[in-house]
Amino acid sequence: MSDRLSFYVERSSLLHRLNPLTKLTLAFTLIFLAFFGPGYWLPAGLYLFVLIPLSFLGGVGKDFVRTSLRLLLPLFLFLFVMQSLFYPGGKTVIFSLWIFSVKSEGMAFAFLTASRILVMVSSFLLLFLCTHPSALMNDLARRGAPAALSYIITSTLQILPQMQAKASAIQDAQSSRGLNTGGNLIQRTRSLLPLVGPLVFGSLVDIEERAIAIEARGFMLPEKKTSLIDIPDTRPEAIFRWGMLLLILLTTGYRLWPS
Amino acid sequence: MAIIEMRNLTYHYPLAETPALHGIDLEVQQGEFLAVVGANGSGKSSLCYALSGFVPHFFKGKLEGQLNIAGIDTHQSGLMDFVRRVGLVFQNPFNQISGSKFSVYEEIAFGLENLAVPPTEMRARIDAMLDLTGIRDLADRSPYALSGGQQQRLALASILVMQPQVLILDEPTSQLDPIGSREVFQVIKDLSRQGMTIVMAEHKIEWVAEFADRMLVLSQGEIIGNGKPSEILSLPQLPEHGVGISRYTTVARLAQKEGLWPSDQALPVTLTEAVAGFQEALG
Amino acid sequence: MNIIQSIKKDFNTMTLVLIPVAIAINVVIGQIVVLLKLPVYLDSVGTVLVAAICGPWAGALTGTLSNIIWGLIIDPNALPWFPVAMFIGFVAGWAAVAGLFRTWWKVVITGILVALTAAVVSTPISVYLYGGITASGSSFITAFLLQSGRDLVSAVLSTNFIVEPIDKIATSLLAFAIIKGLSVRYLSRFPRPENVLVGK
Repeated sequence: MSDRLSFYVERSSLLHRLNPLTKLTLAFTLIFLAFFGPGYWLPAGLYLFVLIPLSFLGGVGKDFVRTSLRLLLPLFLFLFVMQSLFYPGGKTVIFSLWIFSVKSEGMAFAFLTASRILVMVSSFLLLFLCTHPSALMNDLARRGAPAALSYIITSTLQILPQMQAKASAIQDAQSSRGLNTGGNLIQRTRSLLPLVGPLVFGSLVDIEERAIAIEARGFMLPEKKTSLIDIPDTRPEAIFRWGMLLLILLTTGYRLWPS
Repeated sequence: MAIIEMRNLTYHYPLAETPALHGIDLEVQQGEFLAVVGANGSGKSSLCYALSGFVPHFFKGKLEGQLNIAGIDTHQSGLMDFVRRVGLVFQNPFNQISGSKFSVYEEIAFGLENLAVPPTEMRARIDAMLDLTGIRDLADRSPYALSGGQQQRLALASILVMQPQVLILDEPTSQLDPIGSREVFQVIKDLSRQGMTIVMAEHKIEWVAEFADRMLVLSQGEIIGNGKPSEILSLPQLPEHGVGISRYTTVARLAQKEGLWPSDQALPVTLTEAVAGFQEALG
Repeated sequence: MNIIQSIKKDFNTMTLVLIPVAIAINVVIGQIVVLLKLPVYLDSVGTVLVAAICGPWAGALTGTLSNIIWGLIIDPNALPWFPVAMFIGFVAGWAAVAGLFRTWWKVVITGILVALTAAVVSTPISVYLYGGITASGSSFITAFLLQSGRDLVSAVLSTNFIVEPIDKIATSLLAFAIIKGLSVRYLSRFPRPENVLVGK
């Protein structure tokens, strides 16, 4: 684990140069289409013919495919098993194994659900691969997102690995003092405290000082914060974003239209 | 007019019966370097917090007495008024990293962004701070990938970039190794030479004795000494109050007992003084 | 007070600095529990902590972010369950506001309320994802546990619907224990210390 949590891969592609809000809007639009758009094959199509090509355009194709499959294959396998076997109203049995029978309606539903989730997670994955977290947070903050939220997200990304490292160190220290992580249930439960206690109380003490530090640096000053880094935005992108919004509205209309 | 004027300041933390600070009188001129020494729990940190406004505006509690610093009156101002004028750097370098910036350069910009400084002005100020604290070659690194001394210099840079009129330092080298301490002391020395008003709580007596203009000794929230370092450090009652005297003073005192150091000669605090004193005493 | 004011009340400087640490606490304790092969999750201790001393909105945010991060770095199967994590924080927060975080047995009640909420909120998600296995939830728990590497005994034990409430009660008690270990002076820094302080 590097010293921060981030999917970001540094490249100089078109996608990387796009304004973060544009990419975020695209992600939301794709997700909306996948869940509410017409057509059984739409979500799968969006993944194969929109997201994957875009990822290669962004120079992160291999990372994208590899990570999206790694993240979701376990979920899909599970989904397929559960829904193929237990989907209510499934009648068309494909084959049976002992007391379980696989129904085609279940499999079909599994495929649809899986492809929708695939679009959802991989849209954000693509966003994160091509957008530096601070660029994304900066842009949102500039457009009115609360500075507090931006602060919370970016500091979580950095502080989490630090604390995981501390937890590892505590684990090692306790093991060398003879802490056994095996044994029966009672023994294992007892090991919880010496592993968790030092970390929790240590990090809670730090909090007060960190609060003082950010106050001393003016975080709670009332004026609207400026930004060191300028995130460019272009007119074509703004038009594109409105176009995406229109697409969402059209899809909503399609869904609601009683036909 | 002194840039810091504290009169009869008494402070109780919330729900506390004994005051952390009691009847503190203090005056600091612009450009002066005041060192604050005392045992643990003597009130050094509370004094630092009072000077930077965190007492009482962050910690609540009861503050009596007067404090005027950099043109503001603590009873009529809020924490934000202090933040614009008084800088605070404290012991733990890790806890002073905001966490929300991914590079040293941006970390320094954090304070400027909060002050709503125009971006065009930011770069020049940040570059100046990088040079002042000697961390220019670390500008692209993650703040978490630095040594303690480097992080503390980053903390200094991040506060100084906001151009405070007074700098308060609460034992900035306590958690650093000797190399880190030396790096930080160097920066503070340079700042003082450039005319910054500094109040520094510190344990490493020898160092502050060499550079401070004046020294304040605290014990249990009260002032028991206020004057030039050489005067203060020769006071015999210091050890009872748990104030570490310099090693050189101890040696000279022992020598005094053996008749090797004249009883009318002032006890040394620094190595230079000790060497000079012994050279003279032993002919 | 209206909603915006209610939300704002939860967030002072200490809250902002607490939340990332609380998320880390969630992740670390959650991982240690897997390491120790305990038949519980204990992955919301930080969430409940924030909910108790900062408020329901801060708790909800902590839960949501925590779940998403867990899903992205540890186990993607957790991702669809972010509304559950969100409601755990939300309900624990309101329970604390109602005074249910002041004594041990009241905290147990909070734990039960949180467990009920978790069950209710996870139902529609289960329905959607697993096509109808909702009523008992036990087959899902078995399969989920088997999948995340717990040993067979724990997996079988956990299919009993006793586990969810135990997990949430233990989580709440652990958060309470942490709060008990903090000084009054420290707790009063946070937006809602009155939730956890008895008397003055």
